[in-house]
Amino acid sequence: MEKFVIGRLLRSNTRQCVVGCPPSQPFPPFGSLVVIPLEEDQAAYGLISDIHIDDDGLVRQLVTTPAVTEAVIQDNRQNRNVPVEMTVLFVGSRSGGKISHLLPPRPPLSLDVMHLCGEHDLMEFTASGQFAYLRHIFEAQDAPATDLLAAHLLQAGRAHQAHGRPDWLEQACARVITMLRSDYDRLLPVLETLADAQRELAQAAGERMEKRP
Amino acid sequence: MTEMLDSRKHIGSITGGGLKENLHVRLEVPPQEVQEGSFIVISSRDWIFYGIATDLQLQALDLRYALEPSRSRLPENLAGLLERQTLFTNLVVLPSLMLEQEPSDPQALSAWRKAIEAHEREEPRPQPVKSIPTHHADAFLASAGDVAEIFGKPGEEGNFVIGFTREQNHPVCVNLDKLIQRSSGIFGATGSGKSFLTRMLLAGLIDRNRASVLVYDMHNEYGLDDTASDTGENVRGLRSAFGAARVQVVGVGASAAIRGSMPDFNLVLGYRDILPEDVELLSQELNLKETTPTVLEALVQTFGRDKWFQAFKEMRRGALVEGEDGKKVPAPDSVAFWANQHGVNLMAAEGLHDKLRRLFNRPYIIENPPSDSIQAVMEALKKGKHIVLSFGGFESDLDYLLISNLLTRRIRAEWEKLTNQFRGGKGTEPRPLVIVVEEAHKLLNREMAAQTTFSTIAREMRKYYVTLLVIDQRPSQIYDEVMSQLGTRVCGWLGDEDDIHAALSGLAGREALRGMLARLQPKEEALLLGWGVPMPILVRSRRYDNFFWKDIKASRKSGLDQEQVIKRLYPD
Repeated sequence: MEKFVIGRLLRSNTRQCVVGCPPSQPFPPFGSLVVIPLEEDQAAYGLISDIHIDDDGLVRQLVTTPAVTEAVIQDNRQNRNVPVEMTVLFVGSRSGGKISHLLPPRPPLSLDVMHLCGEHDLMEFTASGQFAYLRHIFEAQDAPATDLLAAHLLQAGRAHQAHGRPDWLEQACARVITMLRSDYDRLLPVLETLADAQRELAQAAGERMEKRP
Repeated sequence: MTEMLDSRKHIGSITGGGLKENLHVRLEVPPQEVQEGSFIVISSRDWIFYGIATDLQLQALDLRYALEPSRSRLPENLAGLLERQTLFTNLVVLPSLMLEQEPSDPQALSAWRKAIEAHEREEPRPQPVKSIPTHHADAFLASAGDVAEIFGKPGEEGNFVIGFTREQNHPVCVNLDKLIQRSSGIFGATGSGKSFLTRMLLAGLIDRNRASVLVYDMHNEYGLDDTASDTGENVRGLRSAFGAARVQVVGVGASAAIRGSMPDFNLVLGYRDILPEDVELLSQELNLKETTPTVLEALVQTFGRDKWFQAFKEMRRGALVEGEDGKKVPAPDSVAFWANQHGVNLMAAEGLHDKLRRLFNRPYIIENPPSDSIQAVMEALKKGKHIVLSFGGFESDLDYLLISNLLTRRIRAEWEKLTNQFRGGKGTEPRPLVIVVEEAHKLLNREMAAQTTFSTIAREMRKYYVTLLVIDQRPSQIYDEVMSQLGTRVCGWLGDEDDIHAALSGLAGREALRGMLARLQPKEEALLLGWGVPMPILVRSRRYDNFFWKDIKASRKSGLDQEQVIKRLYPD
């Protein structure tokens, strides 16, 4: 399993957590699937639903300075003590190797490590069950659900497409329709956003084809 | 049963409804694959429900999905996914029958069979629907096996293939035994294929030989070969097909010829055959006054029931002779003389004489016919022959009303006598008889029905082994009481709302069937309804062509003797 450590947990509750990482470190994009190992053979899965960069006194002073040199900017970014904060919306868990789309049994603890899921993990989690994890996105109170969904489906769809499952995205869209079909006002904007994601995916697939010798 | 399930086409599942408001099936196939009138089977736990599709409705989860085409906002594939989940067709099914299914588990099936063999439970058979299937029960288009389960297998004794289901072409049978146990009707507007349907049913009845058939063939269509008015093709007549040994064509009048061919024998009436009640039945046609019964009564009193007609015919109207005082007085052979002698109103008597002149002049009514041709017709029917009474050139309403009434009156009396003799232990059981009446509204309308023998036959002659097969294009003109007695109804396209209403009178679910009847194809489609069929069904009627006759020839002939036939038809 390929896993990249992203950061450590700052705070959490049953539905979501916030993870911090140094600003110098590359951090995953919005909508990425991440995993936080819990005790024993358990783990919590989540989607990055928000990325937050706080200010501090020095930054506040610097933004008012007429000319900030590149050295100052790099110093601020490399050596700053204020972390980049990522909000993670829990969408499932794993226990004894079995993936569940229920919320983790308990939230992770402070300073637990969070990893970015690789393509294999992403495909395994998203292909398990009947897309029940998508409901956590729609139920999220503070997250931009439509864009989070689009970002996630785009990433997961790309992974599935690259591994010979081009129909996964269509199945996911069908499931989204099933979940939201009784809410016309909400479903149509979601589908329009998914249409954009689909277009991007098709474009990316086309580019890959062109690059092939 | 499993084979039957496999061969059915799944079309959707139950989402609601009830016995009163019909069942609702959400279609999972395009609406074009199921049509109004389709035979629908619903499998629900231990029961199978059978019904007929009566309506198709476009519906949407939210009306906005239907009003705003999603293809204008979304790419093709997403729009397709959305439409599949939010737009759908609701099929309305009129449930008619239910049948208990045998258990699928081998152990349970074995126990179930044993219970039936031990008479601890009844062998399941289709019964009128008394319950409803569960939510999400699977709905199918009926397989050939389902159609055979309900309407009978085509090769089986008494079953006659009348047509085929609309979409899947499964043969639909009518049980001829049941058809003739009660009076029946064939209805349809002009050109809807009534005559072809009638020919086929008659061919079936004659071929099965369950009962004698007497056809009042007003337009000379059924006995001899004819040419189809629309296609110009030859249409085989019943005598041509079955031969004179089984079907005899009787022509009205001494020198009757039916389209240039000679009939097997002729029907000629004697003066003594005409009774006052025969004349009274013609009141409307002859525009008779209300004084007519009084004058007729006086004629019978004067000359007797056998001779009144001849005597009245021979009277002269307005004949005068010179009296002793030189004044002109009515001649002794005049109508006026008789009227004065017997205290009958002169104007009434002379008026009746004037009006009966149309009857006096009918060439088929003569003083001394060479034989009693009515008796000959009845004897032939009693012996098991079938008679097509062709009216030849006598196609007027007057001829039709007079002859059919007169003959039917005699038949009724004869069959009643035979039945009473049989019940008194003095004779053999009468042969069942079906009288086929074309243009039935002329004889069975509100005014006539109370007087004619036909309404009596429709009401009670089943007990006396006589039933009617009524053929008409205006069922609304037939008296309600007669319509309500018709067991089986075969309805082609009817355009008039009143006719549709009449054709469906007294039937369950008629509101649902009404639209279906109005939307039948103008040709070659018919709705089978009523007591004689297990449930209403729409059929594409069979073609009356060489294949039909080949099939008739190939069909298995009855192995039953006359006694067995009667026992089966009239078990009580």
